[in-house]
Formats: sequence, C-alpha cells, structure tokens
Amino acid sequence: MQQRLRRSLTRAKFINTALLGRKRPVMEKVIHVADLDSDQTIQPLIKELETVTTEARHEVLQSVLDIYNDDENGDEPILMKDFHKMYLDVAFEISLPSQMTVLDASQPWMLYWVANSLKVMAKDWLTDDVKRKIVDKLFAISPLGGPFGGGLGQLSHLASTYAAINALSLCDNIDGCWDRIDRKKIYEWLLSLKEPNGGFKTCLEVGEVDTRGVYCALAIASLLNMLTDELSEGVLSYLKSCQNYEGGFGSCPHIDEAHGGYTFCATASLAILRSINQIDVERLLEWCSARQLQEERGFCGRSNKLVDGCYSFWVGGSAAILESLGYGQCFSKQALRDYILYCCQEKEQPGLRDKPRAHSDFYHTNYCLLGLAMTENSYTCASNDPPYKMKCDSNDQISSSGLTHVNPVYGLPMKNVKNFIDHFDSALPS
Amino acid sequence: MEEYDYSDITPLPIQTDVQDELCRIMYTEEYKQLMGLTRALISMNELSPRALQLTSQVIHVAPAFYTIWNYRFNIVRHMMAESDDTTSYLNKELDWLDEVTLNNPKNYQIWSYRQSLLKLHPSPTLKRELPVLKLMIDDDSKNYHVWSYRKWCCLFFNDFQHELAYTTDLIQSDIYNNSAWTHRMFYWVNAKDVASEVELADEFQFIMDKIQLVPQNISSWTYLRGFQEFTHDTIQQDEKVVQFATSFTADVLSLPIGSPQDLPGIESSYALEFLANHWSADPASRDSAVKAYNLLAIKYDPIRKNLWQHKINILS
Repeated sequence: MQQRLRRSLTRAKFINTALLGRKRPVMEKVIHVADLDSDQTIQPLIKELETVTTEARHEVLQSVLDIYNDDENGDEPILMKDFHKMYLDVAFEISLPSQMTVLDASQPWMLYWVANSLKVMAKDWLTDDVKRKIVDKLFAISPLGGPFGGGLGQLSHLASTYAAINALSLCDNIDGCWDRIDRKKIYEWLLSLKEPNGGFKTCLEVGEVDTRGVYCALAIASLLNMLTDELSEGVLSYLKSCQNYEGGFGSCPHIDEAHGGYTFCATASLAILRSINQIDVERLLEWCSARQLQEERGFCGRSNKLVDGCYSFWVGGSAAILESLGYGQCFSKQALRDYILYCCQEKEQPGLRDKPRAHSDFYHTNYCLLGLAMTENSYTCASNDPPYKMKCDSNDQISSSGLTHVNPVYGLPMKNVKNFIDHFDSALPS
Repeated sequence: MEEYDYSDITPLPIQTDVQDELCRIMYTEEYKQLMGLTRALISMNELSPRALQLTSQVIHVAPAFYTIWNYRFNIVRHMMAESDDTTSYLNKELDWLDEVTLNNPKNYQIWSYRQSLLKLHPSPTLKRELPVLKLMIDDDSKNYHVWSYRKWCCLFFNDFQHELAYTTDLIQSDIYNNSAWTHRMFYWVNAKDVASEVELADEFQFIMDKIQLVPQNISSWTYLRGFQEFTHDTIQQDEKVVQFATSFTADVLSLPIGSPQDLPGIESSYALEFLANHWSADPASRDSAVKAYNLLAIKYDPIRKNLWQHKINILS
C-alpha cells in the first residue's frame, strides 16, 4: 500500500510535489520570465504557477490521494450495490423535499436517472410496479403521448423528451405503454425544431441550439425508429464544425471549448449517423485520452479542469463508442474503475458522487454507474450496423461488478435499446 | 415593485393527479400558488404587464424553469411593439436581465433569451454586453455558457477588437485557463484575414513565452499545435517550434530506452507528445515518433499507455 502511494506521489511530480500534502490559502501570483531566470532556487521540475486552477486541483488531489492511501490494501473495493439501491428505492418511495423544486423542470430526468441506475445494477431491480408508475407519470405530463415537457403544463423540450423516451424504454412495454407514444407528433415536432445550420432548438421560440440538442433529437428519433434523411439533413456538417483544434467538441460551431458533455453528444450523434469517419478521429482519441488524469485516475471534462465522476460516462462512453468502431481503447479502464469505486462512493452515504467530499445525487449515481459499465466490457460494432446492434463482451482482465450490459450511444441497457427500436415499424404512421 | 391584482385568475394545478406519483416534489404553498397562476396566464396567453411581473417572480425562484423564459419573450415582444420607444423598452429588459444573470451564473436559459432579445433590438451594441460578460468571467473564469455567449456576440456584432487583449489578461492571471486559450484561437480564426505575418510571429512568441513559464501545461501546448496548423499556409515556424519543444525533453530521445527508473525526468510530457505528433507526419522521422510514444508509455505519461500503443501501431 505504501508503495502504491509513493508511486502516486512520484507520478505527481508534474504537479509540484513540493506543495502536495498541505493546505494553503488561495493566492495568485504573477511571475515574470525574467524573475524566474534570475531565481536559481526554482527547479525546472516544479515550474508551476499557483493560480485558481492549481489551487482547486491540489485540494481535490489531496482528498483523492488520502483515499487511495487509506483504502488501498490490495483488494479492489466493490460496488456497494445494495447500499446504492436503498438510495434509489427511497427516491421512488417518498415525496421529494421542497429543496428539490430546483428539479421542477427536469422531472423526466429524475425518472430516467433513478430507473436506469437500478436497472444497470440489476435487471430485476426495476419492478413492474415502479414501471407502471413511471408510465403513469409521463403520460400525465403528456396525455397525448409526447413530446414531453419537464412537468405538468410545461413546454415540450428536447432534453425532457429524450429523458422521457429513455425512461419509457426501461419499462419493457408494460401494459402496452410503448404504443401510447405518439411517434408522428414527436416526429413533426422534431422537424419544427430544426434550424437552417443543421442544429436543433431545444424548444420553440427561445430554446438554445447546441450539440446536446442534436444528440437528444437523434437519440429520440433513432430509438423510435424514425430517423429519416429529412430529419438528419445538415446535421453532419453541423457536428463537424463543432470539433475544435483540441480534438473534442464544443457546444456550438464557433470554436467553443471542447467539453466532455458536448463531446459525448457529438460522438454518439455521429455513431447514430454512422459517420464517425467524417471527423478527425485521431484527434478525438487524443482528446478523450488526455481527460484521464494520472493522479486522480478519473476523467475531467475539459483541459485543466477538475476530475468529476460524471465524465466517467461522458468521456468513457465516447471512448467506448470509438472502441466499438475499431479505433482501439484510448484510456485505462482499470484506473477509471479505481476512481469510481474508491472516490465516488463511500460507506456513510449511499449513491455515487462527483468527487470526494461531494454529496451523492441521482445524476452522478447514474453516470458513475454507466461509466463503470464502460470499464467492464469491450465493445464492437460492424461499421455498417446501426449502434443498437453493437456487441458487448466481458473484459477478462478486469473484475466485474455484474452490471447490466449498457449501450454507450444511448446510456441504456443494450437489451432495452434493441427491444425498443425493434418494437417500432420504420414506416411512420400517416 | 408594482402590485398587480390577479384575483380574477384561478390557478391551474402544477401537479398531476396520479396516485402515488413518483418523485413528487413537495412544493411550498407559495410556489404552488405562483406557478399555478403562471400556468393559468400562459394557457390564456395573456401578454400584459402583470403577466410580465409574474414571470420576474417565477424566474427569481426557479430560473431553470425554461417554459417561463419563452412566455416572457412572447410578452416582451408584444409589449415592445405597443411601446413608443422600442429601444428603451428593450434596454430596460436587458437591464433587468443583467441582474438576473449575475445572480444565476450557472443558468442555461439566460443566454439564449439574451440572444433573442438582441436579435429583436433595433440598435444593439457590443458595448452594452461587455461589462456583464466581464463580471461573469471575473466571478468564474471558466464559465462555459458565458464564453460561448461572448463568442456569439463577437460574431453577431462582427467585432473582435477586444478579444486578444482580454485573453492576454486572463492568461496572465491564470495560465491554465483553457477557456481563455480556446477563446484566443477563436479570435485568430476570425481575424486571420487581417492578421499580418508579424502579428502571427508575435503570437508564436507569446505561446512560447507562456510555455517557458509553465512547461507542463496542456492548454498552451494544444494551442501551440492548433496555431501551428492554422498558420501553416501563411508562416513557417516548424523548425523553430520543434527546436523549442525539444528543449523540454532533456535529450531523452538520444538515450537508449532502458527501464523507466533509469530515464531522467523531463520538464514536459506535452512537449514529447507534441514532437511525437510532429514526427509522425513525415516517414523520415517515423522512428523518432515511435520512440517518443514509447517513452510516453513507459515513463512520461503512462496512464495514456493505450493511446500511445495505438499511435505506435498506426506508425508500424
């Protein structure tokens, strides 16, 4: 154990080992090259300026290394499934306190995050009773079968509809609920959100146009087996222009900073369009791989930002999609497992979290679990096959938490994706 | 704040009547009342001063409630058309929005609402936008939405004159601020037609100075590579840049690849990655590229071993 810690610290030399291990007050100093040159006491290896960026990172690194130091006794920790199940079950059993009003416009998201987390941990943890309740709630929000808003009386929104469709796909067509979805209406609504530049507005009037909206639209349309040329026209060129010089993707086609969330949205969208070879894949691989931090072992979402458990999926899922298309593995699955299992869960508090000292929440629980699923399998997909036909094999070199096989493009169990798409006729009802 | 009478409105329910509804939020009575009224007004599409007032209250308690932003936009558009002075009416709305923006730094909806207002405005100016943008970045120098909106503004107003100096300042106070570095690239891409060779050469010097200051910084190295590619047709700096990058790698490429502990420390793994990428492009230097990737894999950036191996496979 000591040896492993020492190794971590040795590796940390690029982040100024002299400063590790103690807390310092925030300070910013500007050092000029001239001063550096005249100051012989500054060693090249610790050439680091103290800024808000390094200050924040050192703080996180301290808590992460403390955990690796304390917990590492040879055995990899296990995913505390039953413990996390308690957290998720409670969410479905009691009413949420008024502080959760901040999620008032994201109600379908909560259903998806919680239901998906349960099902990813064990296929039968999402009970028929809960499935019925999911269906009841979603069709109460949208009695005519979609598109969906964030709650009762709210405007239809791409993100809410994406979450609602995902949640419904998890319900295994219970009581014939899949046939209650009004595909035609959703299709026409998607068309109405299309912008001349190939993007989609998240909702009518003042909705934002970005790669997230594109992904939601393509995921919805492909899951409902109605992704037509009419709908995907111009989307590829929109996505291509969102890849910047860093290799990852930003939110908009104007050299926005590459970001884990938007990169996932773009990569998954390209997989749906079967057009990944239309972008600079090598650079995307490099960007994804550079998100994994040597010392923390998990992913950050942008260059020089902090590690966060949710990027285990946003970046890990992007990498898994690339892996499935034959571009190889671009990160260390074992190291990512370490981060999720050591740092994103703790014995005192169920659910998974962003990083040590943070509280768990539904969002991070879902995306940490999906990220963990990415590390336990290898993915393959024939280049002419749509992504729902992707195959998933267990990874012999890595121990398994027995998670349900997940399709990285949709963030849903493979089987649900396949059954759902198969259910719908590719011809739209007229 | 003006008092309006809503007593003629019957609030609509904001909760479903589903038995044992999943994830039901226990709203406070005030919230239910406020949102119920809002729903009722939205359903009647009332575009009035009292409706506008109500949207302010809703945005105050629930800024992420996107439905309200759309409703407010419809009200503003309607009332603007009825006002004598559209410009001052919209300026007043922007003033209100500035305050909401400063209070809600992480909000998603504010920015597209702002864009919609500027598109509606008869005489919008970038000058009016800059102070609030600056305050937001002062508060959080990597706020994604703010940077993205700033880019949108530059393009909308076709005005890039402030951007280079602004990113210089931000990089000066935090050399690791990747948002500032990417914004700088945004500047050059849009200024390319007007930038002289001298300016481009100066920019190379700027980057190299920043790397000299902090060699192990992914933002500046990625930017260097991006800038080199971007200026490739205009100005040739390859030799200089390669020599510069080599100076951070302690001559490891001339040493035999032994065991990791026998290899010396280097100042920057990104320098080695930069060189490896550069050498990959030319068959004559492919062996050097393979060696650099090997060194990254065994010693200088081992967590990315799989990627380095992939690069070696491509080259072999």
